[in-house]
Amino acid sequence: MNEGLADFLRGIAATNEWWYIMPEILLAVLALGLLVLELLSPAIRKHVPRVAMGGLGLILALLLMVDCSDCMGANGQSAFGGLLQSNEWSHLMRVFFVFSALMVSYLGGIFLAGRNLAQSEFYHLVILVAAAMMLLVQSNHFVMLFVALEMATVAFYVLVAYRRTSSLSLEAGIKYLILGALSSSILLFGIVLLYGAGGNPALPGASGDSLNFDALESFIALNPDNPVVLTGAMLVLAGICFKIGAVPFQIWVPDVYQGAPNPVTAYLAIASKAAGFMVLLSLLHGPFLALQDFLLPVLVFIAAASILFGNIAAVMQRNLKRLLGLSGIAHAGYLLIGVAASFTIEWVDNAVVFYLITYLLASFVVFLVLSLSGEGDDADLNIERYANFSREQPFLSGALTCGLGSLAGIPPMGGFVAKLLLFVAAFQAGLYGLLGVAVLGVVISVYYYFGWIRALYFNGSSVTALGEASNAPTLQNRFVLCALVVAIVVLGIFPAVVSLV
Amino acid sequence: MTPVTALTLTLLIPLASAAGIAFFLRRRGGLASTLSVAAAALLCICSFIAINARGDAAIVASWDWLSFGEFKVSMGFLLDDVAATMLAMVSFVGLLIHVFSLGYMKSDKAQARFFGGLSIFMFSMIGIILADNLIMIFVFWELVGFSSYMLIGHYLETEEAKAASKKAFIVNRVGDLGFLIGIVLAYWHFGTTDLTKMEQLTLGHPELVNAGIAAFLICGFIGKSAQFPLHVWLPDAMAGPTPVSALIHAATMVAAGIYFLIRISFLLPVEVLGFVAWLGTAVAVYAGFCAYAQNDIKRILAYSTLSQLGYMAAAFGLGYPGIALFHLITHAFFKALLFLGAGSVIHGCHHEQDIFKMGGLLKRMPITAITFAIGVLALCGVYGLAGFYSKDAILIAGGLEKTVIFILLTLGAFLTAGYMGRLFWVAFLGAPKSDAASHAKESPLTMVIPLLILAGLSVVGGMIQLWPEGLGALIRFDLERLHHAEGYSAMHHDVLIYGSAAWVVGLLGAFFFYGVGAKDDRLARIAPSVFAFLKARLWFDEIYGFYVSQVQDRFAAILSFLDVFLLRGLIIRGSAGLVGILGLGVRTLHVGNLHAYVYWFLGGLLLFWAFVGTVL
Repeated sequence: MNEGLADFLRGIAATNEWWYIMPEILLAVLALGLLVLELLSPAIRKHVPRVAMGGLGLILALLLMVDCSDCMGANGQSAFGGLLQSNEWSHLMRVFFVFSALMVSYLGGIFLAGRNLAQSEFYHLVILVAAAMMLLVQSNHFVMLFVALEMATVAFYVLVAYRRTSSLSLEAGIKYLILGALSSSILLFGIVLLYGAGGNPALPGASGDSLNFDALESFIALNPDNPVVLTGAMLVLAGICFKIGAVPFQIWVPDVYQGAPNPVTAYLAIASKAAGFMVLLSLLHGPFLALQDFLLPVLVFIAAASILFGNIAAVMQRNLKRLLGLSGIAHAGYLLIGVAASFTIEWVDNAVVFYLITYLLASFVVFLVLSLSGEGDDADLNIERYANFSREQPFLSGALTCGLGSLAGIPPMGGFVAKLLLFVAAFQAGLYGLLGVAVLGVVISVYYYFGWIRALYFNGSSVTALGEASNAPTLQNRFVLCALVVAIVVLGIFPAVVSLV
Repeated sequence: MTPVTALTLTLLIPLASAAGIAFFLRRRGGLASTLSVAAAALLCICSFIAINARGDAAIVASWDWLSFGEFKVSMGFLLDDVAATMLAMVSFVGLLIHVFSLGYMKSDKAQARFFGGLSIFMFSMIGIILADNLIMIFVFWELVGFSSYMLIGHYLETEEAKAASKKAFIVNRVGDLGFLIGIVLAYWHFGTTDLTKMEQLTLGHPELVNAGIAAFLICGFIGKSAQFPLHVWLPDAMAGPTPVSALIHAATMVAAGIYFLIRISFLLPVEVLGFVAWLGTAVAVYAGFCAYAQNDIKRILAYSTLSQLGYMAAAFGLGYPGIALFHLITHAFFKALLFLGAGSVIHGCHHEQDIFKMGGLLKRMPITAITFAIGVLALCGVYGLAGFYSKDAILIAGGLEKTVIFILLTLGAFLTAGYMGRLFWVAFLGAPKSDAASHAKESPLTMVIPLLILAGLSVVGGMIQLWPEGLGALIRFDLERLHHAEGYSAMHHDVLIYGSAAWVVGLLGAFFFYGVGAKDDRLARIAPSVFAFLKARLWFDEIYGFYVSQVQDRFAAILSFLDVFLLRGLIIRGSAGLVGILGLGVRTLHVGNLHAYVYWFLGGLLLFWAFVGTVL
């Protein structure tokens, strides 16, 4: 064989890092494959949802197998010239996002059934968003971060407005588009400032690649008080606050959550928020590490304001999807406690991930029940509609109670342990004021979560409109709900199963 | 299957069965009962696998349950010889009682609830046995309390069952409060609640043993094993179905208090042991007297249980935990037999429980009557039967350690023979005294077979003493210690005479005093004042009732007033209103106008800017 060619191939093989993002590539192939299937023939088109979910399930199984066989690269391994870097969470978060995509596709199947909307494109976009978020949480470079973020956000613009026959959905779409673009520009401006400061040869530690997190970290460590750096970090923080829906960039949340189709609302609430938090954690432990004295009060303020705003606004809210949006703001606040405490407490990152996992499970239970109990336009679901729901739908009511109990943080649900861990972290970090606000917030949240549960079970009137209108859940839906609820309870009783606690 | 897997299965099988019944089989009584019995059989097999695999070493397994920083709560198994003995007894007797229930509960409307309750009870009881730390014991302790509550109240349409289940629950709470305080103090004192670690600590530093902590911890025992002054719930608990009385209120749960004492014996100083010995002796005699004024077959047996628990506590307090455990096991066999026999009688007599309305059952229900007689003889301590060996050992221990306790316990043995004789002569011999009794028929096979097996165990259960390898290490050790104690042979001789005299005189005395198949209680006829005194049971219930109505109810009324006006009115409604108003205010911020939202963003940026410029 030609020696030169062999050398050439060996050289390529030595720098071959595509294996590194194989799950993302597989997702992209699956997403594109769905579009091809759509083109082939109407007979095959029917099977698109099944192919999408089957593919996601296979990739999820693959990820879990790789996880169990423990053959992933070591932490801190970087690829593609430092664009991506694995950390201790990247693999778990891959599983998280693929699972979210799977569940959203499942919800999407329920949502799209009987609606005259495009089918394959929905799954296509959901899968692309998952791939983008997986890249996002591994990014180690602001260019990578921004591209991955935009890839997810642009797909979300479409998804939010997916129900194009509904004016509410379209309104939500336009709001999300404009505010998302605004926040992206803020984020981009922050990145530019950091790039400019980091590349300024007059400053110590300046480098040619100041968008790389490692380079930026050593640069900021030498210039923690530079006003341009501070402003840039602030603007980046503001951009991420939009993603996670924290005060003062939370204002879009209720409108968009209400208007977006159910599955997309769930996706926004769970995956988008989780991605935002993982990015925030990797930024705070990476480039912004030296700014902690300055960032801590800001984070504490955002956390406290989010908890209070989300919970107080949710108390009087009767529309369920707006209520879930507002309570999602409060959940972002609780998670920010963990982020704020992570400067001093080593183990709190685990607690944040654990919280995200319990939030994922509980939210999917709630959204699945919402999808199964809605008839027609699901943007108008009020608490009153759920009066005496349990009489006709005891199974759905039971599952919903477990999900809401976990969101409210009632033992023995997983949400209780998750909140407990964050609060213990806040206590150990000495954030007593914030802890007080958080406990107050939890008390308020019990009021509206249990208001909903009360409507399910103990309503004096004999109205059972929604319960009668909903069909009994199929065996498949029962199984999925059962599995989610069991997972929530298991996490609450034996949290050590996820090896985070 | 590794031993730990087997133990995990033993613990989880009944839980799975309970969950399956609760979720899927609530209206399928037949299936539910099959599932529950199958679970009991499976867990029995698993537990024997684990016990066989144990060898001589204890099986220890522990997992972190919760940990943040320094504070850790673990859960785990500790299967030493005591736990293995107990586990074998509970799983086997539990299985027999499950089988018996198949027949007994056949026509019950709420079979599924009953069998689900049995399964959750087995789960909690096995949890107590296996638990390796105090917190885990407490969790399962409360779970058995709950299952006991649920099963006592099985006939929830009767006022009696409702009141009894409530009473059992509340009285146990009193004991558990002390128990909980004891656990907190122990954690504070030792820095751990792990049994093995605490034992090592106290071995190295005997001065660490603290009477205060021990006093709080034994509150749990006093409540669960129905000792003074918390004994009042056990007789009332007989309102539950008879298999429940056999399983929970005779063989296993009430004995869990004794088992718990043995588990934590290294934490108990001498003073506390002495107290336990006197407490047990007092209960043994007191309950013996009370039994004479009871006409309900199950309540007589309940007082007998109280009295036998007193014997175990006395043996433990005298410093012989192994003998207490020995008596616990033999007692489980013959008391389960007696209760199941009583159940069979009640089943045959269409739920007639008054012994003076029975009579003549020996002819109509021969197997039940004969096995019952074996149980009576075993309980009285007739030579060669199960109760003889263990009770004999307790009496010898009493004689060697404290003569007064020995005399009182011998008196107790005499009383036992007397009231059991009364029960047997009146209920089983003579002529039937009611329609129900004259139409009684022998019970079905599912009920008779457990009776026969338990009767066999009641005969041979004590003879295991002659085969020391078969005993657990603790029992063997304590028996040998007793046999080699100074003055053992003389005392053994005495006890043989006194003990045998007690049961002969007791049984014969009852035979001549009450007569065969008597129609009414002769004691009540010739000495009504004595009978009334015994029936009053030292007025414990009245005293508690007085305390509750005069002190506690008034205090509760004050609290209720505070609750209604201060808490509910001012604080809750007030703050809810305040939050509501705030919420309305915040809601108006969401105007839905895109321009306004963009200004929000700019405002947020300005706020951040203020942080940058250190204005804030």
